[in-house]
Amino acid sequence: MSIVVKNVCKTFGNFHALDDVSVEVPDGSLLALLGPSGSGKTTLLRIIAGLEIADQGTVLHNGEDITEYSARERRVGFVFQHYALFRHMTIADNIGYGLRVRGVKKAERMARVEELLHLIRLDGYGPRYPSQLSGGQRQRVALARALASRPSVLLLDEPFGALDAKVRAELRQWLRRLHDEIHVTSVFVTHDQEEAFEVADRVVVMSEGRIEQIGSPAEVFEHPANAFVMDFLGNVNVFHGHVEAGKAVVPGLEVAYPDYPHEEARDAAVYVRPHDFMIERAPNGASSIEAVVLHVNPAGSRAKVELRASDTAQLINAELTEERFAELGLKSGDRVFVTARRARVFVPNYAI
Amino acid sequence: MQAKGGGVVQRARVAGTSASRRAQKDPAWVRFSLTAFALIVVGLLIVVPISNVFAGALSEGIGVYWKNLAIDADTLHSILLTLTVVPLALAANIVFGVAAAWLISRFNFPGRTFLTALIDLPFSVSPVVAGLMFVLIFGLQGYAGPFLRRDGYAIMPFVVAALVVFLLVVAYLALRPMSPHLKKRGFWKIHPVVAVLGGGSAVFFVLVVVQQALGIWPQNTSLKIIFATPGLVLATAFVTFPFVARELIPVMDAVGPDEELAALSLGANGWQMFWHVTVPNVKWGLVYGVILCNARAMGEFGAVYVVSGHIAGQTDTMPLRIEKLFQEYNLPGSFAVASVLTMVAILTLFAKSKLESKVASVTTDPPTEASPP
Repeated sequence: MSIVVKNVCKTFGNFHALDDVSVEVPDGSLLALLGPSGSGKTTLLRIIAGLEIADQGTVLHNGEDITEYSARERRVGFVFQHYALFRHMTIADNIGYGLRVRGVKKAERMARVEELLHLIRLDGYGPRYPSQLSGGQRQRVALARALASRPSVLLLDEPFGALDAKVRAELRQWLRRLHDEIHVTSVFVTHDQEEAFEVADRVVVMSEGRIEQIGSPAEVFEHPANAFVMDFLGNVNVFHGHVEAGKAVVPGLEVAYPDYPHEEARDAAVYVRPHDFMIERAPNGASSIEAVVLHVNPAGSRAKVELRASDTAQLINAELTEERFAELGLKSGDRVFVTARRARVFVPNYAI
Repeated sequence: MQAKGGGVVQRARVAGTSASRRAQKDPAWVRFSLTAFALIVVGLLIVVPISNVFAGALSEGIGVYWKNLAIDADTLHSILLTLTVVPLALAANIVFGVAAAWLISRFNFPGRTFLTALIDLPFSVSPVVAGLMFVLIFGLQGYAGPFLRRDGYAIMPFVVAALVVFLLVVAYLALRPMSPHLKKRGFWKIHPVVAVLGGGSAVFFVLVVVQQALGIWPQNTSLKIIFATPGLVLATAFVTFPFVARELIPVMDAVGPDEELAALSLGANGWQMFWHVTVPNVKWGLVYGVILCNARAMGEFGAVYVVSGHIAGQTDTMPLRIEKLFQEYNLPGSFAVASVLTMVAILTLFAKSKLESKVASVTTDPPTEASPP
């Protein structure tokens, strides 16, 4: 079932947690709310779940206005960041709790619990207690508990936040596969862009209680709407300069910028991702930054090179493919020329 | 080369630990004299007096001890009175303590810190002053005294009606249907505020009128609060007021609201959430608070002394009875009652130390085991 959030505002004292936020979650999709801490993503999730009440705005559930409904009337599955399993109940009782309070008969309930234990690959764990399980297992139990009464919407608050990297990666893929199997409309909150891109169909980037951009992972990554999104999604090098007459000029680089044809110069910033740099031993005619190699780190699939621009002393992070790195044979102290294969220009307070 | 280096490091580490162990250890005479000092103080101040209570109680033989406790009508009455007053005060404090702890740890409202401070007030007010307070309100010369003396039972219809309405409102709020469609039918169609205010006042009015018309309560009879059991219950409840709430607030804070919210989002109503999640999570803290509260209520002297009027066979509780027997130079009798209170105290201590570990295990997160398969 689809969820529509319209013009929701929420303040805690003087703090604007959400400022006129509108989101649409299509039926059966998996949406990620991505943003740094304090961006209001968890508050938005809790408002959808009915655990928090919006000061203004409406929440629609398949066209029905559910703004006034309490959490238990909304029939959504909610997975808490720290699992919030009932510590004094067994795993089976935890999973069956939603069915128990809704008056489902014991035999039917036990059958559903067995089915879910199988789904989360914890067959035979029913009689154990949450304290006897690892973090990843508890997280899956929390998910099964939320799914037990077949909710039309599944909401997950930082589902993998408290787990170590390896378990997190496993669970991520597992969640994606699970979603492909059961097709429940899902929203999850994360501050990890890699996680959002890997799992979600659509990503909502938030900051300071506002939505910065909504789109598919590829759209958001390839065409960031503004400097915040560009900066938030992975490493980026920022060069400050100005735009004038259809191009952006920063020390050493010139980037075409046809959106600003005026002669009058304006402050602007040029953003370049590390893998969009090209490094040459000699200047090739195009505008380039002369730089000194400070440090090379060839570990990993891409070699990371740290450089310092000769005239501005700005630090530059670049990434090269293994072949190119081997070809160049860079080492600390080498003098090189850096050009940008691709760059994005952002002019503050100027519509792009 | 490397093995040699490792050996050196290891030897250095061994030397380091033994040296630090020597440095951390005090000389033998310091250790022994400090231990002996502690033991002597504990022995003189605690063990000897407590053994003396039992020795004094049994000084004239077990037969006299039994007679002092079970045959003496006034002593027996004091024990029974304590056994009536304490459970009533406990029950009131459990209801209040759970409600207050829940309010303080789960909600943020103006005056929250003030309420927290107010709960502690009975700890800082002298029990005698507390007793005097109730005498000033309900005593003959107090504000409500003349009225209570003239026609005290006239307030009973209102008290009973208020209690019934309170229970009905709680039941209404707990039983409201979860499905929005059901809400649109029949009785549930009424707006909750209208239902609570309108229905509540209607029931209250009817109950009061019915009770007055049927004449259930005696008329023009004085209702004794001071120098009677109700006063004892009030004074005891006041003095032991903070125990349950103070024990529960940190436990509820540590457990956090997430499990309760999870229960709600899974479809539980408030009643189910309370009994399935809140109570099991805080039960050891609650039991611990009740035990402490009970110990304090049993032994309460000052406040009870003021409100009881000290009438043997009527308003004397156990601590008051001990004092009276002592004043009458009936030492074995006084020690006999004292020994009962002491035994309760020792039992409380055992229960407390047993429970302390359980409360601690609630407030700390259980350890995580190996990674998933």
